[in-house]
Amino acid sequence: MTTISSNRTGTSSSNLRTDEDVIDQVVRPSNDTCLVEVQSKAGLTAFACSKNESLLLAGLRQGLTLPYECASGTCGSCRARLDSGDVANCWPDAPGHMKIKPAKGDILMCQSRPLGDCSLRVPANVVEGFARYELPTHHNGRIERLDRLTSDVIHFDVVLAEPMSFDAGQFVLLQIPGLEGMRAYSMVNYERRTRRLSLVVKRKPGGGFGDWLFERAAAADKIDVFGPLGSATFHPDEGHDLLMVAGGSGIAGMMSILERATNEGHFESHRGHVFFGVRTVDDCFYLDKFSRYVDRARGNLEVTIALSDAPPQGPVEGAHPDIRFATGLVHEVCGRDMQGRFSDRMMSYLAGPPPMVDGALRTLIGTGKVTPDRIRYDKFG
Amino acid sequence: MSWKYLCEVSDVETNSVKLIDVDGVSVLVANYGGGFRAMPPICPHMEEPLAESGVIANCILTCTKHLWAWDLRNLSMIGETERDLKTYEVKQEGDKVLALIDGELTYDFDEEGDDDDDFFK
Ligand SMILES: Cc1cc2nc3c(=O)[nH]c(=O)nc-3n(C[C@H](O)[C@H](O)[C@H](O)COP(=O)(O)OP(=O)(O)OC[C@H]3O[C@@H](n4cnc5c(N)ncnc54)[C@H](O)[C@@H]3O)c2cc1C
Ligand code: FES
Ligand code: FES
Repeated sequence: MTTISSNRTGTSSSNLRTDEDVIDQVVRPSNDTCLVEVQSKAGLTAFACSKNESLLLAGLRQGLTLPYECASGTCGSCRARLDSGDVANCWPDAPGHMKIKPAKGDILMCQSRPLGDCSLRVPANVVEGFARYELPTHHNGRIERLDRLTSDVIHFDVVLAEPMSFDAGQFVLLQIPGLEGMRAYSMVNYERRTRRLSLVVKRKPGGGFGDWLFERAAAADKIDVFGPLGSATFHPDEGHDLLMVAGGSGIAGMMSILERATNEGHFESHRGHVFFGVRTVDDCFYLDKFSRYVDRARGNLEVTIALSDAPPQGPVEGAHPDIRFATGLVHEVCGRDMQGRFSDRMMSYLAGPPPMVDGALRTLIGTGKVTPDRIRYDKFG
Repeated sequence: MSWKYLCEVSDVETNSVKLIDVDGVSVLVANYGGGFRAMPPICPHMEEPLAESGVIANCILTCTKHLWAWDLRNLSMIGETERDLKTYEVKQEGDKVLALIDGELTYDFDEEGDDDDDFFK
């Protein structure tokens, strides 16, 4: 952990509109709580943040529309410039630092905790947002039901002490004792006011959370949860056909979307196309679930598994005649298969490793002429 | 001020971009079908290299990093995009594409100048 001090005190504070009303409204629950002022394109606002919480989570919890994507140190989207005050940098090696300018006083809000009152400038419109269902917050959870799906994929449930409502496509941050930092995982299930979050993890070689989950985790283990987060969400009332392109564990949020769409009869009047990229047939999972969704959609849902490393082999294919198997990178398979079938009635969902999502974005925008407002994505890392 | 040679019209395919060095100034040339645009090689959002992250379709340049996009016909911002794209003036003379380059165009991500304050307001 390192301390970052503002290098702009004096001159820059003259840019701040000192709107006493805004600041006075912030309640400080305790002495450990710091006052954080935010100057953004939308004006001045402020929130309270304890010295034990990241600026991002504290702000989001209190309803501010602070910018973020990964909420876990990799993407740089939560950048802010520290105008005055000091913060602790909880993860100095976070890859997100390569996308900001620490020398100019830039910080990652998701990796910074206040050491005292401070003021930030944030290049976005930060306002008090509206929450469709509920604001994200901290939850206590326990692990339940660990199920190995392949040699490096595991499905597990987290049971919460208090129910949570989330949108299909959202994610939570998980933290376990003894492991620094929080990891983002997308919900696989979909239920309103549920105490159960179903999650799936693809093990990354040498990864801290993956190693714990595969080797040491057991039912009833305690786990800290923060959520729900993320905006790559599905809303049936928008009335879209659905295109989903996922690589590896990126399929998690798509399962939640399929669950909701199926249960609410979305495929009675809309089409769905799922492209799921894995390396080989042995890396496939959720095939039975896909078969059930395809069956219930009565011809309006197509699921294609794109195998990047090996052509399909008879047996698995044979057991799932309702699922299509193709060879190639998932975004290429999608581009080929959807040629001439992209439509402006469609909302596209993309998730997985950043190079896969970037490739899919290129295909959708370049080949499919899909416009940015019809694309929602999560880059895993 | 002077007009500098960028490339031949045929060097940059329709709906693609190409990075060109003009006397030490790195310029991204975009062919959007209806014409050419020349611009600094980075995205005004988070400085990603547009030669890799830029995609053009229907005359719109989109950066695949966070989907900022601009209409290359009139340079208007599309959707959630929050900053203008800076461009060099371009003209075609026969098969040649030229740009008016008078020093390098930059986005003031760093400086405490007007642009920067604009950016954060
Ligand atoms: C929006 C989103 C959704 C995701 N959904 C899924 C999913 O559904 N399934 C899935 O398998 N993966 C998902 N991921 C990837 C997942 O969050 C992890 O990156 C991945 O599981 C590897 O974690 P690990 O602990 O095994 O590896 P590690 O290499 O140990 O850690 C990877 C990540 O943990 C965080 N981290 C590591 N060290 C620190 C530290 N010292 N301080 C703070 N943070 C640290 C960082 O975010 C880092 O990228 C998602 C990622 C994002 C951004
Ligand atoms: S949101 Fe903080 S680095 Fe991605
Ligand atoms: S860097 Fe181009 S859109 Fe963010």
